Amino acid sequence: MKNKLHGILTLLLAFVVQISFAQEMTITGTVVDEQGLPLPGVNVIVDGTSRGVQTDFDGNYSIDASRGETLAFSYVGFQTQEITVEASDILDIALKVDAAALDEVVVMGYVSKRREDLTGSAVQVDAEELQQTPMATVDQALQGKVAGLQISQSSGTPGSTQDIRIRGISSINAGNDPLYVIDGVPIINDNTAESNPGEELGTSSLSALASLNSNDIASITVLKDASATASYGARGANGVIVITTKSGESGKASFNVSSYYGFTNNAIDGPNPLTAAHKEILHYEGIKNTYGLGSVDEARTFEVENLGDSGGFIAWNESGRPEANWKDVIVNQDAPIQEHTISSTGGGDDHNFYASLGYYDQEATVIASSFDRISGSLNFSKKLNENLEFSTSNTASHSFQDGLLEGSAYFSSPHTARYFMSPLDLPYNDDGSINLNTGVPNPLYVAENDIDESKLTRILTNNSLNWNTPIENLVFTTRFSIDYQVYDYKTYNNRVLGDGDDTNGFGYNFNRTSATYVFQNSLDYALDFGDHSFDFTVLQEYQKYRRHLIEAEGDNFAVDGLSELAVSGNPTLASTAFTDWAVASYLGTVSYNFNNRYVLNGTYRREGNSRFAADNRWGDFWSVGAAWNLHREVFLDGSDFVNNLKLRASYGKTGNANIDINQYQTLFSYDEDYAGTGAAYPPEYGNSALTWETSYTFDAGVDFGLFGNRLTGSLAYYRRESNDLLLDVPLSMTTGFSSQFRNIGKMENSGIEAELDVSIVRSEDFNLSLGANVGTVRNEVLEVSTDASGAEVPVTNIDASGSTQRSAAGTMVNEWFMPTWAGVDTETGVDTWYVNGVDGETTTDYGQAERVYQEASALPTISGGLNFHVDFKGFFLDASGYYAGGHKVYESWHLYLNQSNAYTSRIYNGYDVLMDRWQEPGDVTRVTKPIFGGEPWRYNSKFLHEGDFFRLRNVTVGYDLQSKALEAVGLQSARLFVRGTNLYTWVKDDDLLHDPEIDATGFTSITTPPVKSVVLGVNLKL
Amino acid sequence: MKKYINKYVYTTLIIVVVAVSSCTTNDLDPTLNQQKEEKEAFQKVSDLESLLKGGYNRMSAAGYYGRDYLVTDEVRTPNVFSNGNSGRFTTQAAFEQLPSGIYIWDNAYGVIAVANAIIGVDATNLEGSQEQASHIQGQAYLMRAIAHFDLLKTYGQQYVGGDLGVPYIKEFKGSDDIPARESVSSNVEDIMSDLQTAFDLMDAGSFDSGLISSKEFMSEFTAKAFESRVAIQFGMWEVARDAAKMVIDSGEYSIIDGVDYVGSFDQDGTNNSIFEIAQSSTDYPGSDRIDFIYRGATYGDIEVLPLVEDLYQGDDVRADILGYEGEQLRNMGKFPNIPANIIIIRYEEVILNYAEALFELGDTAEAINWLNEVPEHRNADLYSSVTKENILLERRKEFIFEGLYYWDLLRNGMDIEKVSPLQNISETIPYGDYRLAYPIPLDELDANSNMEPNPGYGT
Repeated sequence: MKNKLHGILTLLLAFVVQISFAQEMTITGTVVDEQGLPLPGVNVIVDGTSRGVQTDFDGNYSIDASRGETLAFSYVGFQTQEITVEASDILDIALKVDAAALDEVVVMGYVSKRREDLTGSAVQVDAEELQQTPMATVDQALQGKVAGLQISQSSGTPGSTQDIRIRGISSINAGNDPLYVIDGVPIINDNTAESNPGEELGTSSLSALASLNSNDIASITVLKDASATASYGARGANGVIVITTKSGESGKASFNVSSYYGFTNNAIDGPNPLTAAHKEILHYEGIKNTYGLGSVDEARTFEVENLGDSGGFIAWNESGRPEANWKDVIVNQDAPIQEHTISSTGGGDDHNFYASLGYYDQEATVIASSFDRISGSLNFSKKLNENLEFSTSNTASHSFQDGLLEGSAYFSSPHTARYFMSPLDLPYNDDGSINLNTGVPNPLYVAENDIDESKLTRILTNNSLNWNTPIENLVFTTRFSIDYQVYDYKTYNNRVLGDGDDTNGFGYNFNRTSATYVFQNSLDYALDFGDHSFDFTVLQEYQKYRRHLIEAEGDNFAVDGLSELAVSGNPTLASTAFTDWAVASYLGTVSYNFNNRYVLNGTYRREGNSRFAADNRWGDFWSVGAAWNLHREVFLDGSDFVNNLKLRASYGKTGNANIDINQYQTLFSYDEDYAGTGAAYPPEYGNSALTWETSYTFDAGVDFGLFGNRLTGSLAYYRRESNDLLLDVPLSMTTGFSSQFRNIGKMENSGIEAELDVSIVRSEDFNLSLGANVGTVRNEVLEVSTDASGAEVPVTNIDASGSTQRSAAGTMVNEWFMPTWAGVDTETGVDTWYVNGVDGETTTDYGQAERVYQEASALPTISGGLNFHVDFKGFFLDASGYYAGGHKVYESWHLYLNQSNAYTSRIYNGYDVLMDRWQEPGDVTRVTKPIFGGEPWRYNSKFLHEGDFFRLRNVTVGYDLQSKALEAVGLQSARLFVRGTNLYTWVKDDDLLHDPEIDATGFTSITTPPVKSVVLGVNLKL
Repeated sequence: MKKYINKYVYTTLIIVVVAVSSCTTNDLDPTLNQQKEEKEAFQKVSDLESLLKGGYNRMSAAGYYGRDYLVTDEVRTPNVFSNGNSGRFTTQAAFEQLPSGIYIWDNAYGVIAVANAIIGVDATNLEGSQEQASHIQGQAYLMRAIAHFDLLKTYGQQYVGGDLGVPYIKEFKGSDDIPARESVSSNVEDIMSDLQTAFDLMDAGSFDSGLISSKEFMSEFTAKAFESRVAIQFGMWEVARDAAKMVIDSGEYSIIDGVDYVGSFDQDGTNNSIFEIAQSSTDYPGSDRIDFIYRGATYGDIEVLPLVEDLYQGDDVRADILGYEGEQLRNMGKFPNIPANIIIIRYEEVILNYAEALFELGDTAEAINWLNEVPEHRNADLYSSVTKENILLERRKEFIFEGLYYWDLLRNGMDIEKVSPLQNISETIPYGDYRLAYPIPLDELDANSNMEPNPGYGT
């Protein structure tokens, strides 16, 4: 492929030099309504291309077009006008109100479509909405905006990844993340903080999307059904997120400045740790209970005689009961957050550009963690001649994350210390120095002396050449894109305290370079006769991913204060590796439109993937869709009541190949060693028969606009059946393997999605609108594998601790599976469980309690969003919220933090709810009587909580400067605002103490929780 | 004219870019830069040797001989307890193990899979020394026997009143992928047979011929030493006597001297070592290393019960294995640090196996001599008579913290006694209690409908 690449570049270069510039011009003008009032935000698009601009506040626009091309002017609530460019370069337009038209253009990746021509389910979120959430990664702005899209953050550490699920879960073991497409090109946006795909480094996650500046993004479209996603064939089953970057607008260069600065804190407080006095009570009650003593006083005597100062309370009392508050020690109160972007756009007759420079900086809400990013972009488009246009869009960014070892319960993570550190351990010595003799390494020292940082440099370049061929309406496009990422991770644990003190310091460096190349060639052809119009697209695409990594590790550092591996006296690891994968595709789509009334479309894609053996490599994917624009029919034409009414339905087949590479091969690996020499081993069982997982999706819906489009919305039903699941089938471990990937199993997701927007008041000076969306998911596994005797083999989710989630025929995917808690015995104060897992007889022996499905999974069965907007003479208020519910979440670490045992009273620390412990017969409580010893992990429904929550995602109040004032200061527009994010959170279950917004696995976490923030910002255009 | 030329240029360009980006099935073959496909993996005898090291590597995992197996066995005896400092080994120490745990089930069968892969290769097709190939396959048989022996001891029902052992796997990716449990006696037969095959395949004077470079690899005498261990466990006294005698007669080993005793655990390849797991400053199980669990503040969960100090009388050098960290009594001498190898079987055990076998076979005169060989080298008082109690006491003193005492208790039908308030068990666990057999992991029961669970653990 390398040679091919060289070939292409040479050709392109030769080509660019050879061609002389052709006639093109910049069209400018003003768009007004029938009353002559300027219309801001009108879409102006060159028909058949993806070039488009929007009118400014005064209705002015400027766009490059060639003679003969058609400009389409579209605006919500108005009829679209199409005008062919002729001699004049000034086109002033008056749009007519057409309540029947919702002629928004929806960018769908390979193609853009008028909303009327859509047969499927796609939701577009525009730049303004994306700006409402001050966050490091742009996908966070989608929360609550799209029915059926569920999103949750894995950690509040800035820059970390989000889990996005569109219409539920399509696969048990293959990936469930949607496909990302940026400017028409599929892009890999995984967690970059992984040594291998799926193998997280111990540090905070780092989303590749964090390398994009959300200010550079014009829109995000979420594609949900088969007719919308089938173009992405194989990889469309989990939905597609299409990101479109801003393109230039010709004309005099204008500048945009947007800036905000503010503060963040944890979105919810979380549980409070026990005080030292509380711990003392629990400790001695524990001794009393465990050794059958009569009183706490006897327990004190017994301790002295038999156990020593086991809990440290004797010494603590002698030194005057000093107490630490670790929560205050590790917090970074009012952590600053800021973002500044300056951008410019402009151009001449035959070219335009968009350029930006951005800076983002956020500190975490705990000590010693932050994220910053500097990014630049340059999008440029030039008409090379009458028929040939070259476009390029480029982004480069450098992200830096000062992360935390929070992948597990690393004791040195500050947030871990908040809960695990005993209040008997003081942060500082009497002389003010940091106390190094704490039970868990003192995070104050570790924060100062350890290093845990990720750097991601990313360059995304996307170049295309568009040729209007001599055959009328036949356009040829060739596109070449590179996504180049250099990820560098460094961790250093100091010699004195913490994870490195046993090896006299520890260092690990990891560097990965990855490049994704995409080559695309496509032909678009439009054919119109009479009322019939056809659009054809054929496309070929080749995508290749190459990744090279180098890592090294060492310990026994020579001195303090130097962290490079050159200082390590004992290098323990040096490794390099190269891996790649490739996807090749051929795509054809056809769309037929009769008189704008009936729309039919079809898609076919053939795709080959290197993850499968040669014989099983190719898959065929397709979709058909139909729409009926009822409002175009005679019986509704001119109706005052119905402005838009569309029925649509689609059906199609998509696929999923999102598993680790090389699973089909029977391989031997050599990355182990014994006695100083390399060792071989069989890492996987292998399965040469492996092939595509497929999904069949049916989608039907109605879109409507009523009362002059004051009431708009949609209602849709979907059902997706996934077959031949890429199932990691559990094997008898006697084979020497725990599992093998096979194409076995079936699963179904179905649900209803509704969106409703109401413009209560719509006028020049005063607008008031309300919007809501809701989506439901009903998930059911229909079939899993069987063993050689025909017995069903349920699939345990290996990502869930304690085998607490499993899937079998008739259950939800990864349904919670564990013994059912029956309460604390009021007479004895110990936990009881139902013997049969449901009701009736109880037992105090955990092992005798049957494990049962808990009729809920970690996947919300319902989620939705609420939006509110009001503006009056330039003042505005926006608010939005997100709700997710019907799911259950499990409290992680409860053994160590939320049970009355040695871990909470003696060794670490626990939550203050433990003070509600059982003390005497008759006590009704959910907390057992304290015991002196430890306990094993007993996963059970006591710690399975209802996950329902509502979050006030965003509230913005602001003021747009009015025209006169703007003229006075020489600005085109100016906005001042104050924005609050995650200001309020409602949690249904009182026993759910941690932030309810957690990663898709469904376990609460003691990593940094999501944050709430308040920022003050300004947007200026000049 | 130019217009037409452009057209041709464009058309050519289209054809070219379409051609270069169109791909055939072969263009989609993934690169393999750090792995090999099975069919190319075995060309030479040295390829087999790499796989054998893969087997050793699996034995050395923290989940098996690297830590968990030795420590779990030890923490279930009245020698030590878990203070729960890092939350580790309290469950094992309290005998509260649940079927959701996997313990050594996957590790041991992982070792067996590698051993079977080696045994399954037709070595005559390989380039290289056939003698070496035979020696490698002998080690594979030995590995297979050891792993099955550990599985049988841990999961078999011989100490809980049942007769079920474990599946004995003899084929890599064999046809029966949901095997049922076999009987304890059938397991023992297979283990003994594998040990014999191992000895026969390696019986080439491996020390003299240079096939064995260090104690980090197993020799024919490792097979015999293990044979004596297995035979002792199942009361096959003649087998134990004969196997031990072959090791003694080999002249390759000697009992470590008293002055060297404590220091010997910090040295690799000492003359009493028969087989040890390689550890080095670059290859060890990270923080799951065995020395971390026995001492230090990082984990340091395993503390020694105070009564252990009373085991050693007079100038017994073995008392120096113990030491204090603050108020905590610790194992300071065994598994002292990272570069120190983990000794799996040593000559002193063979001596005491021999003594016990002789005693059981009625040769008390010889038995007392061999029994006293050990205390004699430890500055300890000699025994005036040979009894079962004396033999077991000597074994406890000699092999403390090495994970053998637990099996001595069980094979003699003894209870796990509650003797200290510090112990994690709340009361004595009588011999025959269901907890003396580990639960078959739920994951195994789910995936294998022919697998029978152990009694007492619910479903």
